[in-house]
Amino acid sequence: MDIQGIDLFIVIAYLIAIPVFGIYFRKYVKTEEDYFLAGKMLPWWVISMSIIGTNIGAYDYMGSAGGAYRFGIAQANYEWIGAIPAMVLSAMLFVPYYWKAGVYTVPEFLGKRYNMAVRVIEAILWGAFLACVLGVFFWASGLMLNEYLGIPIEVSLLITALIVGIYTITGGLAAVAMTDVVQLLVMFIGGVALSVLGLWTVGGWSGLVNAITPEHPHHFKLFLPLDNPTMPWLGMIFGLAFVLSPAWWCCHQAIIQRTLGARSEWDAKAGMLMASFPKMLIPILVVLPGLLALALNPDLAGADMDKAFPWLIKNLLPAGLAGLVFAAFMAALISSVDSTLNSAATLWTRDIYQRFIVKNASDKHYLNVGRILTFVFVLWAIVFAPVTKKFPGIYVAMQTLLSIFQGPTFAITLLGIYWRRATQWGGLSGLIAGVAISSTLYFGFHWSFLYVAWWSFAGSMIFNVIVSLLTKPEPLEKLEGLVYGLVMKDKEIQDILSRRANGGQ
Amino acid sequence: MSQWLSGIPLFWGKIIAVVGFIGMIIWTWLRPKAFIMHEAPDTNRWRDLRIWATVCLGIQIILYFIF
Repeated sequence: MDIQGIDLFIVIAYLIAIPVFGIYFRKYVKTEEDYFLAGKMLPWWVISMSIIGTNIGAYDYMGSAGGAYRFGIAQANYEWIGAIPAMVLSAMLFVPYYWKAGVYTVPEFLGKRYNMAVRVIEAILWGAFLACVLGVFFWASGLMLNEYLGIPIEVSLLITALIVGIYTITGGLAAVAMTDVVQLLVMFIGGVALSVLGLWTVGGWSGLVNAITPEHPHHFKLFLPLDNPTMPWLGMIFGLAFVLSPAWWCCHQAIIQRTLGARSEWDAKAGMLMASFPKMLIPILVVLPGLLALALNPDLAGADMDKAFPWLIKNLLPAGLAGLVFAAFMAALISSVDSTLNSAATLWTRDIYQRFIVKNASDKHYLNVGRILTFVFVLWAIVFAPVTKKFPGIYVAMQTLLSIFQGPTFAITLLGIYWRRATQWGGLSGLIAGVAISSTLYFGFHWSFLYVAWWSFAGSMIFNVIVSLLTKPEPLEKLEGLVYGLVMKDKEIQDILSRRANGGQ
Repeated sequence: MSQWLSGIPLFWGKIIAVVGFIGMIIWTWLRPKAFIMHEAPDTNRWRDLRIWATVCLGIQIILYFIF
């Protein structure tokens, strides 16, 4: 992509405007709650846009467009059946309980519901995952600035750190969420411009279908046969829709943290639910370009298929639009980086530092620790980013690690909320057994992660139920506000919990 | 088992998905209204989140029916 003149102006203006806008929100940060939960003031529409900004990264553009080039519209399953039902479930079942519990992190909730061991295992896993992902995101961002603007990679990394770090360190979640709103708008404007231009070029939707279907008859079918190695329909339903997707939308710290900063329980639920509407449109930004690239150039092969998106940008965009699409690309990346930074700092401050290193310190102390940790993670990402180039398997390894934990995590969270008889030992054994099952199936038998997720989820549920029934029930006082049956039918309890979540007694 | 599974028509995927979406819509309407509207700023009809859920799941049904 040649960035010149007006394109360069758009990109530079965008890169300056985002931190300037974000830093404005530092004046609202006075306490730890202001920093990590935006002072519990976020309205539903900000939450919804921030969730999608966090969810969509530059890797989605590349990977999804490449997937659509290979397998067609089935790639959209990750945005539709692999997201929407789980988001409804999260909004209607999980989010209200997290919010009522007044927690800052998902491991903190699991610690309250089960025990400290469950909290620590989950916190270490998520903390390590988010820290490693930061390095990968930073490298991708540096690479893009290097490739398209010609800036040396080391300088590109420092620019990324400066842009993201300056408002994430000072403004916390409020700055992250508000800048995400702007970034999402930029993403949609750039993405829709590319897709509309592409459709115009191939002769509209019917032109696209006519160009692809003769050679690829399954490319406009959402479900692919069971012999498809990547997206067999049974795996998409039972592995993705039933386990991996709910695990992501109901238990992922960076996603859930936005709802915990909601100004009311209704805003928390509405924010998650409203996010499902832009989520349904994401295939226009990331799947359609892959199909357009296939229609215009069916000769990409092997690893080059993952370059479908850059190919389209390079060969389709006229001068003037390149800067806009590049800004959209950067917006996708930066909105993921800032959220990951903020969530990593929250996890390490609340679940590790506050619990094991310095207990019962002042609110100001934890606010400062949160800021220092965010700064440390920025430095860590700069140092760790080049390592991800030398070991490209790191990102895949981290994703694998996450998929191994996701099924069991979702199983114990679901049972913890829905079944009051689940005990702390049931939860702990369910988590450990589930991880053992998924590790065995993945590393021992080399199963597809879609099937591994399903069976580790099922195994974890069974272990949790059996051990819970064999151990002493938890006292009701411990479960109040954390379990479905103890909240749903009692308006008085709901009111007490709302006051507690709002900081009252 | 994989041989038996491969005999299941692709069409069943569509049926399972659509039935799942419908089941989810029913599930959302079984949530008590007091729980859904809890802490809503007012009682306007549009704030009933069950309607939002029905619309987005309804769109999914259409998409999976078409494709």
